[in-house]
Amino acid sequence: MNKITLHNTLPLVFAQRPDVASDLWRQDVCFERGHLYLIEAASGTGKSSLCAFLAGYRRDYSGTIAFDGRDIRQVHTFEWTGIRRRQLSLIFQELRLFPELTAWENVQLKNQLTHFKRDTELATWFEALGIADKRDTLLGQMSFGQQQRVALIRALCQPFDFLLADEPVSHLDPANCHIVGELMMNEARRQGAGVIVTSIGHHMDLPYEKTFKL
Amino acid sequence: MKLIWKLLRQHVSVGQLAGFFFANLLGMLIVLLSLQFYEDVLPAFSGEDGVMKNTYIILSKRIAAVSTLSGEAQTFSEADISDLRRQGFVRKVGAFTASQFQVYTSISMGGVGMGTDMFFESVPDEFVDLQWPEASDSEGGEVPIILPRTYLALYNFGFAQTKNLPKLSEGVVSLIPMDLRLRGEDGREWRLRGRVVGFSTRLNTVLVPESFMQRTNAELAPGAAAAPTRLIVEVENPADDAIASYVQQHGYELEDDSLEAGRATYFLKVVAAIVIAVGLLISALSFYILMLSVYLLVQKNAEKLQNLLLIGYSRARVAWPYQLLTILLNVLVLLLAIALLFWVRSLYLERLWQMFPALSEGSVDNTLLIGVALCSFVSFMNALAIRRKISAISRPR
Repeated sequence: MNKITLHNTLPLVFAQRPDVASDLWRQDVCFERGHLYLIEAASGTGKSSLCAFLAGYRRDYSGTIAFDGRDIRQVHTFEWTGIRRRQLSLIFQELRLFPELTAWENVQLKNQLTHFKRDTELATWFEALGIADKRDTLLGQMSFGQQQRVALIRALCQPFDFLLADEPVSHLDPANCHIVGELMMNEARRQGAGVIVTSIGHHMDLPYEKTFKL
Repeated sequence: MKLIWKLLRQHVSVGQLAGFFFANLLGMLIVLLSLQFYEDVLPAFSGEDGVMKNTYIILSKRIAAVSTLSGEAQTFSEADISDLRRQGFVRKVGAFTASQFQVYTSISMGGVGMGTDMFFESVPDEFVDLQWPEASDSEGGEVPIILPRTYLALYNFGFAQTKNLPKLSEGVVSLIPMDLRLRGEDGREWRLRGRVVGFSTRLNTVLVPESFMQRTNAELAPGAAAAPTRLIVEVENPADDAIASYVQQHGYELEDDSLEAGRATYFLKVVAAIVIAVGLLISALSFYILMLSVYLLVQKNAEKLQNLLLIGYSRARVAWPYQLLTILLNVLVLLLAIALLFWVRSLYLERLWQMFPALSEGSVDNTLLIGVALCSFVSFMNALAIRRKISAISRPR
């Protein structure tokens, strides 16, 4: 997948509002592979909705969203499985990890599906992100900041053309923010992927090529 | 798989699954057991070693008081016979031909003579359970006669006993020559020698060869072409309940109790059908329990399932643990039901063999096949329902 385009897209909940001032809604927008984007948003401007539309689990919008020109409303459920496994990696704001599994198991759940990373590499990432000692801790017993780092590792355990990171560092200190940014960008560059990061203010210091105000 | 199961087994209700397990086991056991019991007991009602040994039945028209007075014909017409021939349970139909002439038989033993008026009947040779002697119908020779075995028993144990007469064996009887006087309508009389050549258990009449009967009837009573009053029918299975209903419908009567076996078979079928229906109903209800339980499970784990789908798991893959769970349960139920079936069967077979020592063991193949089919069907429906449920939660809003 090389391009994600939005054409005149608007969440249905905003349909009654005539004064939507946004760089994204009701615009023609194109995200390209290999580039880094930042979407800055205030609360209630539809950031999570955008992520849900792109991830294919909500369709309550008007206008068009297309992957390589193909309207994603036409994408069949079984095709989404392949897209989520090989083309589009997601870091959800609400993480969507499994609290009854350990940190390591959460990552393995994905890596056993894709067989993309070796355990040694995963262990290095745990080490780098400062959660190596939490490997075998149940996720439910970890802080949200620690969970965010687990979610990042899980998101990197797959091939992708785009990485959509919805507030990936909202609960991290600047030092960890930096490590997460570096790790994420290294993997994205290695894969030649595009990265779309959203933020409500507290964001990683990365060389964004384009910033959208939602 | 291990990790998915670790996730998805959350909220699995052991109580509900146990409820399903025992309900399904009960349903399956009832279905299989009634099928097998039917299979095992049926030969006791039909077949060579059963209650109904012979495959011949003898039909007559019912004699009612009214028809006796009105002189209505008790004979079978050509139409009756051809209709009977068309029935599925019939192999062959033979008519009894009655003598149209008078018969007087006398015997003399040691100077003591006895004589009586009597009659002859004949049936086609293939229906006779004994062989006629060669060249039996040559004119001037002895007329071979077959008596019912019950006549000899009646004489030996009833008549001879009370009158202090000697008891006769079959061999002795066949040594006694008989004088036959056959008198036709026009007063013509034939004097012949006769001899008892055997005793029949099948045919309850005084039999002469068919060819002899035809020739004699033609000679002595040329005008009288009598329709048969009794028919002998070779049937596929005397316990077939179709015979009973056919006989009933046409107002015929069956000699001896062959109809009883038919009725008993019919009863057995009805009871087996009812029990099977109850078993299937229980199975259906247990299926319903399982479906409710799994739906509840999927609903409770909906968020987990959706998260799995969002990180790239396919619907088939997340449905599989639940499908596997239900399939394993169904297979376990089947295996346990089969084990219980064999155990219960060994209990009743013992009793059955005491009643019918020669009874051959029925096959369990059909029952097993039906058990496997039922299990596969239920598993398939379960798997399908789970897949649909998971598809429903994976659909974008």
